[in-house]
Amino acid sequence: MTRSATARQRAAVAHVFRRLSMGPQPDLVLATADPHAAIARALDLGAPAAVPPPMTAPPNYDSARVVSAIAEPIAWWIGQMRTSPRLIEERLIWFWHDHFATGLQKVQIPYLMWQQHLLIRQHATGNFATLLKAISRDPAMLVYLDGVTNTARERNENFGREAMELFTLGRGNYTEQDVVAAARSFTGWVVNVPGRPASRGLTNAPWTSTFVPARFDAAPKTLLGATANLDLDGALDVLLAQDATGIRIATKLYTELVGTPPPDKTARRLGRGFRDGGYEIMPLVAAITAEPAFLAADAIGAKVRSPVEKLVGLTQAIPPASVAVGKVGPRAGSGSAAGRLGLGDVLRTLDYVPFFAPNVAGFPKGTALLGPHQFVHAFDLLAVYPSAPAVPATVDGLFTRFALHEVGDRTRAVVKREPDPTRRLALVVSAPEYAVT
Amino acid sequence: MSGIRFAEPDVSRRRFLAGVGTVASAVVAGYTLDVWGRPLAAGAAAPVASPKGTRHRTLVIVELAGGNDTLDTVIPYADPAYHRLRPTLGVEAPIDLDGSVGLHPSLVKLGERYRAGTVAVVEGVGYPDNDLSHFASLANWWTAQPGAPGTTGWLGRYLDATVGYEDPLAGVVVGPRPSPALVGARSFATSISDAGGLAPRVPAWLGNSHDLLDAWAHFGDRQADRRALTGRVRQAVALTDDARVKLGRALGGPAPADGAALGAAAYGGGGTAEQAFAVAARLVTAARPPRLVYLTNLGDYDTHQGHAQRRPALLGDLDAGLDRLLSAVDTAGVADRVLVMTASEFGRRAQENGSGTDHGNAAAHFVIGGRVHGGRYGPPTSLANLDARGNLPFGVDFRTLYATALAWLDADPEAIVGKGFAPQPFVT
Repeated sequence: MTRSATARQRAAVAHVFRRLSMGPQPDLVLATADPHAAIARALDLGAPAAVPPPMTAPPNYDSARVVSAIAEPIAWWIGQMRTSPRLIEERLIWFWHDHFATGLQKVQIPYLMWQQHLLIRQHATGNFATLLKAISRDPAMLVYLDGVTNTARERNENFGREAMELFTLGRGNYTEQDVVAAARSFTGWVVNVPGRPASRGLTNAPWTSTFVPARFDAAPKTLLGATANLDLDGALDVLLAQDATGIRIATKLYTELVGTPPPDKTARRLGRGFRDGGYEIMPLVAAITAEPAFLAADAIGAKVRSPVEKLVGLTQAIPPASVAVGKVGPRAGSGSAAGRLGLGDVLRTLDYVPFFAPNVAGFPKGTALLGPHQFVHAFDLLAVYPSAPAVPATVDGLFTRFALHEVGDRTRAVVKREPDPTRRLALVVSAPEYAVT
Repeated sequence: MSGIRFAEPDVSRRRFLAGVGTVASAVVAGYTLDVWGRPLAAGAAAPVASPKGTRHRTLVIVELAGGNDTLDTVIPYADPAYHRLRPTLGVEAPIDLDGSVGLHPSLVKLGERYRAGTVAVVEGVGYPDNDLSHFASLANWWTAQPGAPGTTGWLGRYLDATVGYEDPLAGVVVGPRPSPALVGARSFATSISDAGGLAPRVPAWLGNSHDLLDAWAHFGDRQADRRALTGRVRQAVALTDDARVKLGRALGGPAPADGAALGAAAYGGGGTAEQAFAVAARLVTAARPPRLVYLTNLGDYDTHQGHAQRRPALLGDLDAGLDRLLSAVDTAGVADRVLVMTASEFGRRAQENGSGTDHGNAAAHFVIGGRVHGGRYGPPTSLANLDARGNLPFGVDFRTLYATALAWLDADPEAIVGKGFAPQPFVT
């Protein structure tokens, strides 16, 4: 093969790994022959799953609300994104975290967010219907979307609405009456929060959810034409039976992996296949990666790279001694100009901290990530290195570490003009080719 | 709105609607409309040009996050219930406004401006069904969509409907990160954390970041082929670099007219609110001021405890900052083109908790500027009719204040905050 043909092949391999994991491990890119082999490798779940670090259940509500307790889990998670051999699993964990967006800003209890993460980790490559049902009774979600205050006497429609708008059908596929019917079906769930008067009398384990019949609206409901005394699972089954749910999830996952939304026909075919296959996630992934569009030349670099993907790619290219997150939380981000910035500050500046989804719609995507603020603060990610790291001496060697195998002349010239290899690192991280994936 | 001492809304809607018909050239200051993404969507308002030869007006929002204690800001000292509800935290010598309410003693300069007639105090500001959560209530204030907050902020929608992607300096957040209030669907605001402007915070081992940014600017290319995403990125890099240079000029230009030095330290950390206001003063008195300046991170107003120690420092800093900004505005002769408005997610509980105050409901807010008819507006604060949780009930929806500010900016408030919120004539 000629040099440019090799470069093109490597660029296609890197594309597959960027889309099907959270970042291209540079040595894996070099060791993989072609994009089809890369797909097979990325979807291979043969390696054993990682054992997440345990978190001790807090004894009571007040001691549970220490936001800094989430820093270690974030660092561990980013470590998994960088090095896990189960590539597609990490991509899907992020995808579901974003899909079922839940923010510690409101939940306030790191332990509950971590339990939700473990739940998502368990089901990420499994079955969507199972995941949906589990997350709908997940304590963090019950707090985040006000399920715990949704009772027969006082209805709270927050979860009912978002379950249809964001988690399943999508807008335009239900009426306001359906929102009411769903919300009524979801009544009755509470979380046992040790030390809170409202949890007195609950017999389930601390920090778990349970169903309290006295809070449940047991009258019949009519949801999307189905009339019955629906409960949580019953209502979710009604939502899962709809065409729109399969189509919407397939469309969203296709967009995540391919970079652009599918044509309507493709979305319907994939969506119905997903539903009719009982919502198994990996067959949908396999079907999407088998679409010609996935490996098409115009799919490469067609998506905006997120700050978390930038961080993962950077630390895969030039591994730091450790990835310490440091301070996180709504009121962090207050590093003074003189003090050293922690990674938590940096992610916070970029408004992209795992477990802190900015709103119910999840993390910013697409052109929202191409604003002046995001550009200028891409440099800040270098705070992950407390001192100058060792960097390849040649520009080509550096691009190879970042799995950037087709770099434009303009970018190459700008990076080459900088004589100091460690400062070249800053230019690669802020280069147009690194802003896309 | 019965019982509220707002005058009838006699401000003609014609005045602000008149501007909407004026379509700006597609190319403003060298920015093409669609450089950063698709052009303004069909149905979006056409860009509004300001009348020929005039400066844009500038709205400055002062966000007091955490929930500012209204009863310790605009104090109903003559209400017999006041000292009963605030036995240890009650203020002894407020700055009297009219014999019934007074400002906190730390708000000295604001009191002077009230007497000069350029400060409107709007009481009872809130919205229905406040659930008293910081998270939910801030989202409501940022989006102006209480109960069902969407993904764009109210000022982001203003930018969407006016400048679109063409001018990233039309909205500037002074704070450690972008504010959700300025997140648009097809526009960008800029956020700066200190007088350094649009600058990265690089680790020390990287050395001089100015040289790096100068090198980085060469990635930009206004003529890049926008069929590829990297081409659009190159165009955006060029525009960002242009914005960075212009911002640097505005912030680093000659000393402000009031002679005060610009706070150089990042206020976001150990700095003060006054430093943030100093940055804002530079921006609004610049030759081409932003249309929006949004000040965040001005201190922690969530005073559950330590109230008596924290409040004088918070409000003293706020007063000094407001004075810094307003004095610069006066000296520059642009008082008629600047409107300052406070925002905070809720007020605080009337009954103190011993060392502080818990989350409450409605609160008083300030609207300040050369075009403001000073005085008290909204339902007068009364401790006689608290709600079931012991909070001041709301009487003026905060979206009415937003609508007033948007109309003053010549925007269509209804398109941005929805129907039913008439711009009020105390701002002209």
